[in-house]
Amino acid sequence: MNRPYTTQTQERDDTQCLICGTRNEDAAVQCIECSAPMALVRDGTDPQSRPKVVTILGDSNVGKTVYLGFLLDMLSQHTTDYQAIPIGAYSVNVQQNVISHMACRMFPPKTPMEADQWHWAYYQICKRTSRKEEWLDLVIPDIAGESLTAELANPNTFRVINSLAGKSAGMLLLLDAPQAANGSSQPDFFGVKMLTYLDAVHRADRRSRVQMPTAVVLCKADMCPECFDDPRHFTEVNLSRLWNLCQSRLGNVEFFACSAVGSLAYATSPEEDFVTPIPLHTALRGVLEPFEWVVQQL
Amino acid sequence: MTLSLFALAKPKSRDAAAGPSWLPGPYQPAEQPAAALDPLKRLLQQERFGHVVRQHRSLGAHPQIQAAFQAAVEAIDDRFALVPEGYATLPATVNDYPGCPEKDVQTEPFLLARHCVTNRQYQMFVDDGAYENPHMWPEDILPHLVDFVDLTGHGAPRHWRNGRHDKRLADHPVVGICYYEAAAYARWAGYRLPTNAEWQMAASWRIRSAAHVLRRYPWGDSFDTSKCNVWASRIGHTVPVTDYENGAAPNAVLQLIGNVWEWTDSDYDVTDDQGRAVVGDMLMKEIRGGAYDTYFPSQATSCFRTGLPALARAHNVGFRCVMDAGDGDSRPASPQAG
Repeated sequence: MNRPYTTQTQERDDTQCLICGTRNEDAAVQCIECSAPMALVRDGTDPQSRPKVVTILGDSNVGKTVYLGFLLDMLSQHTTDYQAIPIGAYSVNVQQNVISHMACRMFPPKTPMEADQWHWAYYQICKRTSRKEEWLDLVIPDIAGESLTAELANPNTFRVINSLAGKSAGMLLLLDAPQAANGSSQPDFFGVKMLTYLDAVHRADRRSRVQMPTAVVLCKADMCPECFDDPRHFTEVNLSRLWNLCQSRLGNVEFFACSAVGSLAYATSPEEDFVTPIPLHTALRGVLEPFEWVVQQL
Repeated sequence: MTLSLFALAKPKSRDAAAGPSWLPGPYQPAEQPAAALDPLKRLLQQERFGHVVRQHRSLGAHPQIQAAFQAAVEAIDDRFALVPEGYATLPATVNDYPGCPEKDVQTEPFLLARHCVTNRQYQMFVDDGAYENPHMWPEDILPHLVDFVDLTGHGAPRHWRNGRHDKRLADHPVVGICYYEAAAYARWAGYRLPTNAEWQMAASWRIRSAAHVLRRYPWGDSFDTSKCNVWASRIGHTVPVTDYENGAAPNAVLQLIGNVWEWTDSDYDVTDDQGRAVVGDMLMKEIRGGAYDTYFPSQATSCFRTGLPALARAHNVGFRCVMDAGDGDSRPASPQAG
């Protein structure tokens, strides 16, 4: 499929939500059912096919927004065989939000829990080799971790998450590596819940494995660099429940480590009982690899 | 049939003998050269030129001390560059904004290594038994010495194997060493680490003059990816310390910006914009210059301050040594002259 971005007149049903399939009014900005932007449908570059959805899932504070922002920014700079071209100005929001904050040594604000306030990134991804270009339309939402937790606890609380899980062609599951290394079972159980949830959404036959490409990404690996030495081994040892579930239920899974912050400090004073984390400098490592792996599998 | 479907997939762990992911083929350990028996020759062989120059009085009885002293001085002339007296203005807040509180520091002339310490050079420190010798380390660090090991558990930088560096990276800067390892090497070789003000003076070249001009980068004021190895240079790993001659400071010191961050001897001591103390999980030492994976050009400048826990053994932090300009001024007395 060789096709650059075009603005040709497109013939398709522009009222059906890309994510949940609900029919909306012609002028709807967001889907009345799941709050996904209707621009995802209207901005499509190919009337014959719909874009693929890749979801980045993870617990609250694991760094989904930072990961997504840097990923899109790196892809936009055409540094590898892959490049990304945003479709629709709204797609640039998450990238801009992350870059502008991190350059000033601040983490971006937490993603709001309300689905109608999430950022959605719609990009054309191009893989260039010496002989050809391959284009792929990708939609990647920036989902709030609290919303995911609520949906896991009570399925269908967030219809959009349920729809996304069903629509996803690939998934990046982000887990807090230092938390796991410190002996917390929280990342392990979150990962297990997430995979179990996906299993239920896909209504997978228990005798066959889910084939959706899934990248397990150990985040904040700068704080436990052993992740980079062997992410599989780290997962097996520190996230054993998730590891076993991956092996038995996922047919196409790979493990990665990544970090975006080179050094973390905290602003604090004796008068306050809270601290503000400060990303002192960036050191991007392992950000592109899991995404490229997922895209290769699509 | 059911059993085979539920059988665990075989893990594909990384090859234990593999080299760095960006280098093809297996790890290629560096050979260990035979050490000279004569202690003075061994000092020169180990490139501890600062030690020879500074300690020449205690070595004065050696019949070849004058020749050794001369060789050491010539080596220092070749490998170090003079940084003239000057100034460094250090912002006292995390973010350097117009009007933020600052501290002006005056720096005396000093000699700065033209290159970061390489794996080959650091290997001589390891081979000298530094990691087994408690006298090489500050007493309060000794409990942590057992953690200063490589991938195979030997006392060495974090990414080495069996106490040996990969010989394909011999001329790359040594990384995977904490502040204390950097400081111990510098002491062993007869040098020290630069202070944050000295490092900044060397990179910004704010020499004492009526103009009070400083440089954003050692080569000038414009960011240029052809003059340094940062993320935007699209290399993705360290390069030999002799690369990027076009990015040199006026005194021919290379790679102050990019390739690897550099440990300084100063504590990282700043506040946030509201005056709250900025602290890490443990003592933080200041690092300077940016590395091959530094994403924002604004974080790889001559004045950008950041810190790292002193015990961190990061993949992108190395160091370079300095000497005081007055060290070893007096030549050793000839043994024959008595």
